[in-house]
Amino acid sequence: MLLPISIFAQSTVSGTVVDNSGMPIPGVNIAVKNTNKGTTTDFDGNYSIVLENGETLSFSYIGYRTQNIVFNGNNTSIDVSMVADAAQLDEVVLIGYGSTTKQDATGAVEKVDDKDFNRGAIIASQQLIAGKAAGVRVTTGGGGAGEGGEIRIRGGASLSALNDPLIVIDGLPIDQRGGAQGSRNALNSINPADIEEFVILKDASATAIYGSRASNGVILITTKKGTPNQPLKLEYGLQASTRRITNTVDVLNAQQYKDIVTENAGNTASFGNANTDWQDQIYETGIGVIHNITATKGYENFNFRVNFNHASQEGPLLGDLYERTGFNTSFVHQFLDNDLKLTVVARGIQDEYNYADQGAIGAAVRFDPTQSIRDTDGNFTQYGTAANLAPANPLFTLENTNDKQRIKRFISNFNLDYKFWFLKDLRFSLNAGIDYAENTGFRFAPANPNNSGAFAFNGQSQGLNRNTSLDFIFNYKKDIESINTVVDFTAGHAFQEFYIRSDVFEVTNPDIEPLDDTDINRNNLLSYFARASFDIADKYLISATIRRDGSSRFGKKNRFGNFPGISAGWKIMNESWMQNSLFSNLKLRAGWGVTGQQELNNINYGYQGLYTPSRNNQANIQFGTTVNGQPLFIQTLRPEGFDENLTWEETTQYNLALDFGFFNNRLTGSVDGYYRETDDLLATVPAAAGSNLRDLITTNVGSITSKGIEISINGVIAQKEDFGWNTNFNITFQEQEITKLSLSDDPNFFIQNGGINGGNGNNIQLWKPGFDPTTFYVFRQIYDDSGNPIEGAYVDVNGDNQITEADRQAYKKATPDAFIGWTNNFRYKSFDLNFTFRGSFGNYVYNNNASDTGNLNGIINQPGYLANGHSSVLDTGFSNQELFSDLYIERADFVRLDNISLGYTISFEKMTLRTSLTATNLFVITEFSGLDPEVGNGIQNNFYPRTRDIVLGLNFTF
Amino acid sequence: MMTNYINSKAMMKRTIKTILAVFTIAFFMQSCENRLDLEPEDERLTADAAFENPEAYKEFLAKIYAGISLSGQQGPAGAPDLAGLDEGFSNYFRLYWKMQELTSDEALIAWNDGTIQDLHKQVWTSGNEFIRTMYTRLMYQVALTNEFLRQTTEAKLRDRGVDATLRAEIQIYRAEVRFMRALTYWHAMDLYANPPFVTENDGVGAFLPPQIQSKDLFVWIEGEFLGTPDKPGFLENMVAPHQNEYGRADRAAAWMLLAKLYLNAEVYTDSGPRYNDVITYTTNIINAGYSIPTIPYFHSFLADNDSNGAQEEVIFTIPFDGLRTQTFGGMTFLTHAPVGGNMDPADFGINGGWFGVRTTPSFVEFFLGEENSDDGRALFFTDGQTKNIADVSNFNNGFAITKYRNVDVNGNPGSDASGNHTDIDFPMFRLADAYLMYAEANLRGGGGSASIAVDYVNELRLRAYGDTSGDISQADLTLDFILDERARELYWECHRRTDLIRFNQFSNNGVWQWKGGVQQGTATAAFRDIMPIPETDLRINTNLEQNDGYN
Repeated sequence: MLLPISIFAQSTVSGTVVDNSGMPIPGVNIAVKNTNKGTTTDFDGNYSIVLENGETLSFSYIGYRTQNIVFNGNNTSIDVSMVADAAQLDEVVLIGYGSTTKQDATGAVEKVDDKDFNRGAIIASQQLIAGKAAGVRVTTGGGGAGEGGEIRIRGGASLSALNDPLIVIDGLPIDQRGGAQGSRNALNSINPADIEEFVILKDASATAIYGSRASNGVILITTKKGTPNQPLKLEYGLQASTRRITNTVDVLNAQQYKDIVTENAGNTASFGNANTDWQDQIYETGIGVIHNITATKGYENFNFRVNFNHASQEGPLLGDLYERTGFNTSFVHQFLDNDLKLTVVARGIQDEYNYADQGAIGAAVRFDPTQSIRDTDGNFTQYGTAANLAPANPLFTLENTNDKQRIKRFISNFNLDYKFWFLKDLRFSLNAGIDYAENTGFRFAPANPNNSGAFAFNGQSQGLNRNTSLDFIFNYKKDIESINTVVDFTAGHAFQEFYIRSDVFEVTNPDIEPLDDTDINRNNLLSYFARASFDIADKYLISATIRRDGSSRFGKKNRFGNFPGISAGWKIMNESWMQNSLFSNLKLRAGWGVTGQQELNNINYGYQGLYTPSRNNQANIQFGTTVNGQPLFIQTLRPEGFDENLTWEETTQYNLALDFGFFNNRLTGSVDGYYRETDDLLATVPAAAGSNLRDLITTNVGSITSKGIEISINGVIAQKEDFGWNTNFNITFQEQEITKLSLSDDPNFFIQNGGINGGNGNNIQLWKPGFDPTTFYVFRQIYDDSGNPIEGAYVDVNGDNQITEADRQAYKKATPDAFIGWTNNFRYKSFDLNFTFRGSFGNYVYNNNASDTGNLNGIINQPGYLANGHSSVLDTGFSNQELFSDLYIERADFVRLDNISLGYTISFEKMTLRTSLTATNLFVITEFSGLDPEVGNGIQNNFYPRTRDIVLGLNFTF
Repeated sequence: MMTNYINSKAMMKRTIKTILAVFTIAFFMQSCENRLDLEPEDERLTADAAFENPEAYKEFLAKIYAGISLSGQQGPAGAPDLAGLDEGFSNYFRLYWKMQELTSDEALIAWNDGTIQDLHKQVWTSGNEFIRTMYTRLMYQVALTNEFLRQTTEAKLRDRGVDATLRAEIQIYRAEVRFMRALTYWHAMDLYANPPFVTENDGVGAFLPPQIQSKDLFVWIEGEFLGTPDKPGFLENMVAPHQNEYGRADRAAAWMLLAKLYLNAEVYTDSGPRYNDVITYTTNIINAGYSIPTIPYFHSFLADNDSNGAQEEVIFTIPFDGLRTQTFGGMTFLTHAPVGGNMDPADFGINGGWFGVRTTPSFVEFFLGEENSDDGRALFFTDGQTKNIADVSNFNNGFAITKYRNVDVNGNPGSDASGNHTDIDFPMFRLADAYLMYAEANLRGGGGSASIAVDYVNELRLRAYGDTSGDISQADLTLDFILDERARELYWECHRRTDLIRFNQFSNNGVWQWKGGVQQGTATAAFRDIMPIPETDLRINTNLEQNDGYN
């Protein structure tokens, strides 16, 4: 072998790489440009590499700006000080079936990673991102143990179909129905401490590659993995919390109650001698504990991460309890010089719920406040058998109801990533995943003590959910220098099957056969997809995707849908004429795409005409008698309604945005504007009478549009050695409107919805073309000169001198006009402080507690008993229920201090300890007089109050 | 050499890996498309699978009868037929009872559910949810009957290989289903005058049915019974009176329905009176072996009214059973809702009252002696109740009625030990009604014998009074008397509204407490003789035109 001449010009270069505070950075990637040579810094930040004169060393590391240094042969000691990249423009960001960098993303893609997550003893992963991303609104269902949260990305795109986004965990799309039965929040199976980042795909150009499930946005969750070349790291984290409710419904106290009953000739003989605040009695201070033990280690070709966690959370309602035990592992193995990478992620979780009966919340609001908790015999005080429709003592209910569910779940994903040896730019990736859950539970509810003939309820339930997914892609990416373009092509195929089975067995009346029923639902999805991206001169970006999806939910004619998406970006800051401008980053992007929706509350065979037999013996009728005169019974067989033309919803979306940065990206932000239209809206609407075998049919009918502006600003205000301060502010303006809603074009057509308590079958909202889907539908109250409402006096809108249905009007809505999130992070020496505010404006809530029970009839005219009422009766003086008065629609704008956390980090020789004290839901600023202004659907009745948590955290790292 | 060997070994590894990869792809690319054809795997069945079982036809027939008594596929609630309103409220029988009784002088209700109080006050609009759900339920029932007829055509039965015996039986089922359809269309015509019209010749889907005018619907229903040049009538295929299984309709039930149509012909059509036909068909019924049993009146409405003798007079019954036919509508409603105040639920065989329904003073005054009358049909409960009604929402205002009781003749409660659901079978058509129809048709010039009419009435008075002290003479038998006697005999059996309309006493004539929304009662507009087409259906189905007076 001849030695190349260049060997004489080679030298060994070494040095140390440090960050801006002088700390060495291990693992910095050092590459020699245009060669295969490279190395990384060791634990002390030192490196050493052989290279020739004129070659360029490129130093890169996540979170820092890449630096390129040319070796001119003189200095063989090159130290580098890495500068933090505040905007992290080189950061890798996942997109569907692939990844790009933040600066190259053309769709509306937003990443929230673990340093941005909300602090606190968080059980439900949804709550990690509340208030963190523009356009994303997370609303919890209340303070229940293990309660989750509803995520809405840019509002929902649908009416009757699900409005939840598609969640993909480590490449496995999770069933949008949750993936497990019996749980308050199926996503509780994912340990929040295991999550590395959320990537939120908001617009259709980014989500179209997920086709038929992407209309409501897509959230890509990546869990933590090990890193290569990393020494063994052990971590133990403990979070101990107390949870207490902050507010209860305003009802009358014993004296006010007695006064009202006496003044209105009620039955004063029923009074007791106590003054009991029943709501106070049913709530307690709950304790929560979360343990996390994690071990990670990385060798050259192999790294792993193992986590064991145990979490428990007691609900504020007596007896409510959630426990999770989980074991999460991830293994990454590289073969063949990093050409072949295998990743296996497996997690096993057991969730256990002890559900406290939430009926006690409604009973506590109604129960006679003059009664003591227990009577003289020591039993719980009850209304007695003269009042068979009266509520049972809420403490009796809580103590005697037993409702438990245990869910065992196994989620695993196997990913194979292979770069072909003959063509390194061509990559093959295979993903096989399974999400399997089994749940068993039982519920025992005592017989209503006021009803002499009532029976206890004994029910058992079991279920099985299985989601199996297989997809593979081919990806070709090459930097074609001749045309100064980087091309990236992807093509792939995916198949996913969902199987859900549930069994119930219920016994009530021992004289009749128990209910023993099984329901099975299966649906499949088959897809083909492709993407082509071009990055021209690092200035012009174009990306186009197409996905073809087939679903077993629709008949052959309508089975397949095509979902295209296109986006383009212009990196203005890379233009030569922008080099000395004010902007350190300026990018314009635009996108268009079509996505679908086919998730319909388990209507899996909706296009076929099916027959349902009687599900139990109590739905039989008599045909004839035996010879002895005993009746003979026969079951019935019912044909079900169907629509053989049922098909996808299609949402078309446009997005236009500007990303900008100033002061070396110390201040960055983006402004996104979007417009979205859904056609063939899946809605459950009345069918024309006589035309079908059901009154309400789920069919494609109608259109809805939504538009908005999202503004997000990040600022690194201070970045010194001792002190750091960064802030993130996001605000979203949004508007939704139903544009069409029936088989005919009648603009006056509307459908009532939004069920409320009070009477039966009453609704307070409506769906009507021209209005937001959560618009209220009420009478306009008339007031006297002193501002008091006149009972029953409403504006006679149609002037016919009668107050009828026709005088109800569309008025206000529950969806906010704007919502904000504001987060601040402070760092001072070893202390850190952060807090997050969330706010919502323009939303209204219907106070159903007040409308249902804030009247005299509600107190003195109950069938056979007296009940407590909402304290608004003292102000309004209403005699009857005035359910539909706009008096009860209240402004519910709010600003909430969502969480505030103070931490202190102590470094010992072999260990680091971080202690923290966090408070969540510290206070709310609002005008709303009810329990809590944040109610998902805008109707407040028997809401499970949210808690204020105080959390002490200890985190040990070895 | 060494390096070459290593290189080629690595190359082999790579080749194998590539081949593996290609195989994997090929394997999964093979048509998974047929995996998109799925059928249910639980108890639900496609039509072909369902009818493989010969019992299925009878079970489908049972569903059509159950369309009146039950509200869904799971008792007492669950898997409802209709989704638009609470399941108990969407029950056919409960809705029909409210339409026919709450709108009249016979009943009013204390509850505040939505617009229910508008029914008695006669101030309903086209948005009234009870009127809407009744309409929906009626058309749903029609759609069910049409589907049955489509699934049992000669061609379908032949294709499925159904044997001759079963085919013959299915012909009888078809006749009964056509009877049930005629019954429902009669209810629709009586309530809404001009409903949408669908038959088995229309399909199932998302189309807009046409509207039919009541006079044309009358002709069509008549043609269903008697036949037209295009198709045979079903009357001759009905099983002879008393020959069918208990709970199923026979020819006497069909005669009764036909007689009802003819009795009200002047309301439905403008082609003149048909009282002769009423005489014809009521005579058929009266000669078919039914009799007024010699038991007290109230026995006919007890839990064992299928076996205590009351069944002798019943022409068409809707059976209920406390353990097997459970619903929160139906007779459960009719037994629980009128109980409240000081009434003892144990007397009614139930676990508690629902504090709902009472009656007006006008009805009380139909009985000589009012609540103290010797007439055994005056079943009032007055302890703690006022006769006059100051507040509609207060159950204690207005006399309560104790007609329907879930106990047997000895006072023992019904079969459901929890006291929820009842065994009382509802007599939709009974002989007493036929007698009074005969008498009325005779008075209106339909023929028959006036003296026989008086005898019939006195048979009823004999049962009511227990002796002849309540008998009437020929001179007493006037049309006004007939209207009041129908109230005394047939109250709370879903006849009142139809009767009042026929006598022109429902809307712009006739006054009772809280009619028109004021305590002393007032006349209302004549257009209220007909219910409005629900506004929701009017918006969806552009073929429909609203009835006069409504918008």
